[in-house]
Amino acid sequence: MPEIRIENLRKAYGEHAVIEGLNLEMADGEFTVLVGPSGCGKSTTLRMIAGLESCSGGAILIDGRDVTHLEPKERGLAMVFQDYALYPHMNVAKNMSFALRLARYPAAEIDKRVREVARTLDLTPYLDRKPGELSGGQRQRVAMGRALVRDAGTFLFDEPLSNLDAKLRGHMRAELALMSRRIRKNMIYVTHDQVEAMTLGDRIVVMRHGKIMQAGSPEELYRRPANRFVAGFIGSPTMNFLKADLVAEGDRVVAVGQGFRFPFAAERSAALRSFVGRAVDVGIRPSGFIASEAPDALQLPVILSEYLGAQSIIISELGGARIAIEVNAPQPLTVGGTRGFEVAADGIHLFDSKTENAL
Amino acid sequence: MARERQNPLFYMLLVMLVIMAVGPILLMLATSLKLNVDIMSDRSSLIFMPTLRNYEAALCNLLWYEPKSVDFCDPTFGRALVNSLIICLISTVLTLVIGCMAAYALVRFRFMGRDAVSLSTLLMRMIPPAVLLVPVFGIWTFQYGIAGTRYGIILIYVAMNLPFVIWILQSFIVQVPIQLEEAARMDGAGPFQVFFLVVLPLIKPGLAAAAIFTFRIGWNEFLLANALSDRATRTVPVTIVNSLTEYNIDWGVIMATGMLLAIPPILFTFFASRQIITGMTAGAVKG
Repeated sequence: MPEIRIENLRKAYGEHAVIEGLNLEMADGEFTVLVGPSGCGKSTTLRMIAGLESCSGGAILIDGRDVTHLEPKERGLAMVFQDYALYPHMNVAKNMSFALRLARYPAAEIDKRVREVARTLDLTPYLDRKPGELSGGQRQRVAMGRALVRDAGTFLFDEPLSNLDAKLRGHMRAELALMSRRIRKNMIYVTHDQVEAMTLGDRIVVMRHGKIMQAGSPEELYRRPANRFVAGFIGSPTMNFLKADLVAEGDRVVAVGQGFRFPFAAERSAALRSFVGRAVDVGIRPSGFIASEAPDALQLPVILSEYLGAQSIIISELGGARIAIEVNAPQPLTVGGTRGFEVAADGIHLFDSKTENAL
Repeated sequence: MARERQNPLFYMLLVMLVIMAVGPILLMLATSLKLNVDIMSDRSSLIFMPTLRNYEAALCNLLWYEPKSVDFCDPTFGRALVNSLIICLISTVLTLVIGCMAAYALVRFRFMGRDAVSLSTLLMRMIPPAVLLVPVFGIWTFQYGIAGTRYGIILIYVAMNLPFVIWILQSFIVQVPIQLEEAARMDGAGPFQVFFLVVLPLIKPGLAAAAIFTFRIGWNEFLLANALSDRATRTVPVTIVNSLTEYNIDWGVIMATGMLLAIPPILFTFFASRQIITGMTAGAVKG
């Protein structure tokens, strides 16, 4: 199975650079997710890997072979498109076997493979139907089936679930995770949905403005975001950011903001000492707040409470910013008044206000 | 009251329109079934002995038997019918083949002067054929030496219809989602396979509409065919006009030819229009 390497990849439309100097390596059998807000260049990157978009510079290597300027069909990749792109004049079986028929496989082999894939995707009863007679979820499965039938080394997915409704999307996400575990092929998956990225990816590549902000395992990205953007993008509900200054108090470093002060333990203080005096953004995940009755706990107003069942999200205010707090409470919480919270020391992320990089 | 009563004038207008549309055809049909004696008699009447003699006379050289009613077989009409069919079918096929490829290129490929070409194809259509007549006759006769041949007429029909066909097909090709072509390319299709296996089947309605249009223009065309054909290559419209001589006008045969002239386009339209179904691209991509 191929390993894909991207070296210094560039894409520009005239003067306007969309992707600048992208370097990325995808190991054998890895599920890589490219994630980022719309316009970050993730789809363009995928399309360049596929060969549907030309490269303005750099190189793409599949298994050490430079494919930068090859036609899509010479790269041996299969792709699932966002809006399915099924051939409307062909039935499901013909749609799935199109690539095999082009490659002149023997009819018996084609039939065997189509039936096999149709069985795994529950498409057997629909093999004779045209795409127009299928529901959204079925069409999506046909689109995947078309890629699976080919037995390609690498699968590319361009936001394949974004057109499905929430319930179906959850279901298909699980199916996809199972499928990827079963076939163990290279998968490159583009999405703007961080939940999809977190649940599917072995490795997540967060992109913004055509640059890689951070690449790593879901846990790495969640626990140790490299910058403010990744911290805010990964995790739901999103991380709270508070303005603060780093101040030295004796041998401790303290983040002091409007209405709060977070002292750091000795070890971390030592690491942060060189940053004393800088303006920082303090990042705290909604789940980082711990309800506390201690006298020195933060007293936070309950402005709004969103009851989700097992948890509630409290919308509150701290340091002049709106913050969200996740509380495990089986009953809906009353709005108004204040509640005491503490923040665990390892729940506090610090980012340089200027460079946005993690400290 | 189930329905509002319509103004009787409205019905009168409808009846008049129907008479205007159907009347000449009925008259042609009736005349084609009459003997010359009946046609020329002072009392034109609807009561006559219908006969197929005129049709036998028109088609005498194409029939499998020798019609007894015809003393001398004039092959002109039969030959003209064959000429018309050959010329129109070939020019239609050529126009569609060239037109769909040109339209595809204009829609999908980026090249210098694309918009200019796209626009000028339509501008060409604005030129009336009469303007082309003299230069085309000159060029066909003195430079190409193809005046009086079927090729010559086919060539000018293709040239004349191409702009409009390209224009029609462009609007159909634009509607084919580009993702389908990309999917086909990912599936391993080359440019020609993408075109013939994916794009062409999806623009079938457009091809059918264009085919009807092209065929009928060629079938009815008189001006250019009159100038560019000779005795052996005349099309039906030209032959009919040429058979109106100062010595003899055989109305029965002319009307029979007229009826025969109407049949191929009707059949052609009937078969082609079955391809015109809407929603060809339904289910291709999320709407």
